[in-house]
Amino acid sequence: MTLRKSVLCLLLAVPLCGAAQAQEIPRYAPPPPLPADTAALPTVVLMSYGGTIASRGQPRLNITNYGGKENKRVDPQDWLDDLPELRGIANIVLDDARGPADAPSAVYADQVRIARRMNELVQDPKVQGIVLTHGTNSMAETAYYLNLVVKTDKPIVLVGSQRPWTGLSGDGPRNLYDAVRVAASKQAWGKGVLHCMDQFINTARDVTKTKAYRVQTFQGIDVGAIGFADPDQVVFYREPVRRHTSASEFAGRDYPALPPVEIAYSYRDAPGYPIDAMVKRGVKGIVVDGTGAGSPTAEQTAAIKRAQAKGVVVVATARTRGGRVQDTPRRRDAHIVPGDNLPPEKARILLQLALTRTRDVQDVQRIFDEY
Amino acid sequence: MNDIANDMKIRLAVLLILIAPGLAVGTAAAAAEPLPQVRLFTTGGTIQSRGADRQTLMEYNAGKVTPQELIDDLPELKGVADLSYTEIANVGSPSMKTPLLLKLASEVNAWLARPEAAGAVVTHGTATLEETAYFLNLVVHSDKPVVMVGAMRPFTAVSRDGPFNLYNAVRVAATPASKGKGVLIMLNDEINAARDTTKSNTYRVETFVARDLGPMGFADSDRVVYYRKPLYRHTARSEFDVSALSDLPRVDISYTYQDADGVEVDAFTAAGAKGIVLTGGAGDALKRAQDQGVVIVMSDRKGAGRVMTSARVAARGIVTADNLPPHKARILLRLALTRTTDPAEIQRMFNEY
Repeated sequence: MTLRKSVLCLLLAVPLCGAAQAQEIPRYAPPPPLPADTAALPTVVLMSYGGTIASRGQPRLNITNYGGKENKRVDPQDWLDDLPELRGIANIVLDDARGPADAPSAVYADQVRIARRMNELVQDPKVQGIVLTHGTNSMAETAYYLNLVVKTDKPIVLVGSQRPWTGLSGDGPRNLYDAVRVAASKQAWGKGVLHCMDQFINTARDVTKTKAYRVQTFQGIDVGAIGFADPDQVVFYREPVRRHTSASEFAGRDYPALPPVEIAYSYRDAPGYPIDAMVKRGVKGIVVDGTGAGSPTAEQTAAIKRAQAKGVVVVATARTRGGRVQDTPRRRDAHIVPGDNLPPEKARILLQLALTRTRDVQDVQRIFDEY
Repeated sequence: MNDIANDMKIRLAVLLILIAPGLAVGTAAAAAEPLPQVRLFTTGGTIQSRGADRQTLMEYNAGKVTPQELIDDLPELKGVADLSYTEIANVGSPSMKTPLLLKLASEVNAWLARPEAAGAVVTHGTATLEETAYFLNLVVHSDKPVVMVGAMRPFTAVSRDGPFNLYNAVRVAATPASKGKGVLIMLNDEINAARDTTKSNTYRVETFVARDLGPMGFADSDRVVYYRKPLYRHTARSEFDVSALSDLPRVDISYTYQDADGVEVDAFTAAGAKGIVLTGGAGDALKRAQDQGVVIVMSDRKGAGRVMTSARVAARGIVTADNLPPHKARILLRLALTRTTDPAEIQRMFNEY
């Protein structure tokens, strides 16, 4: 109790002592000197789409309830001012991709805008790579979307933070610095859209947020990281073999709207009427996140049959998160596409893109096998 | 015992019928064409061991299983590959010493050089399986798949893991997508890379993990599926050639702990070690060893994460092991010492392999 009281007192007392607006970087050592020839550095576009990494909170112990109207957002220029080290590793070009300050959350229209902008930026021969800051909750979805629709071999690196820019021991500055290093790395080419936080380099397809608040939240549950942004070098051990970016049949085009696809979660006694409701609303596809190896309930199965009769394409994923939903004879007979090891929110994106090209279950199956 | 084996056979057959018409289709289609030729190289281990009774999961010393018995136990293999075998040894991991490694490498290289060869599978005790896997990863000069397999439970045990591991290993070796991925380790449905994978648990069947990087794919019932390709140099792109060698340079490992004083390092040097892998500081003994021409490689005892190089470390002539555990750093150092004793050149090798 005493400890709790004193923490509470600290939380209340610090704002009275004056607001800390800048990033909470220890000021006990100076930034390293810039290289003599910064003109020779690779050009990296730093796109801001906000997120915790672009949020301020008060006091500095506040790492859960930051942002909001009372706290000014971190402008892209603030990152450069707070982290002059960035200019030592790349020629940074800022590109503000944020929506209005009062935008409630990430929406699909933003993804369209970001993808379009990236497809433009990669055409510029001077641009070596792109870093996109993003809130962590849905960044794996945006990463996978970009992995499928941006036509390039250049590195695109998504980065965020678990603690606000002003948080004590904030992870944002190191993450941002590492993401720019990865985007500037020649070794990062041709590996699809990447994700870099906590010094791990993960692939867009396989990375997922696994913990609400810890800084080591992003992991590939089935297949791990492909490299590290270590102090000595950016090092890669693996490359992804599934199709992406320049090898994607969906890449290089604009998708102002995608066919509606919704997700139905499965649990003991899960009823079929939510699926019926989705069909009534006009969905073109449904992802059923089944139990175990991707099994819906009998009621859901009956509703799936009714949906398929209306031409809705159904993909099965597994709520276990680790492991693949397999191509079994029973599933094939039921015309249900196995979602491999994609989580439902990523299977939804792939199904939406697939449905822009085909309604054929076999062809959708091929797409899920290849991407 | 035969009843158990028969029971397992039936269960496997039933499972396959239930879950794998994809395989059945593949088999039927393949019947028109000859099946890929896979050779099984057997060295022994738990997968070829018998226990006194079917509940025995340790100290199973009631006899060995021959390669022919392994194959006869799995008639399902006939649908996957045209399988032949070469018996290298029938020993546990601790007996897999350098002459056997060189013999294995030579036999595998000779087999894969034949145009009709599609791939190779190697049975091995699990305790040092990863060491042999990494060794082969550096000295087999072929893009064709080489798959290491073992078991955590003996041939005679209820719920033994060996048969499905072996079945999957042969499937993986017969799969064209397995080409060019270096030597693979196949247990527990997971396809792991030789370089990155380590035994992480003494008895559990999910023991083989690549702590830093995870598996590269899976041998699932519907198909053998890959998500990753390794980037460090291996097999066909390796510069190491042991075909003319009858032994490898001596390299020893010194484990570090509080109060470790380097007595081991002095003893290794006196025993004629050409290289020593350390997991931490060794005081003045390190310098004494280097003065005798011993090459020092710094690894780590944590089992995950990289040991990084720096100007200061390089200036002391110490080679850093990247994220290789000490026992794998030892294998690379032994091979490196067949070509050079220059720490800078050896550091290049540790950066590339």
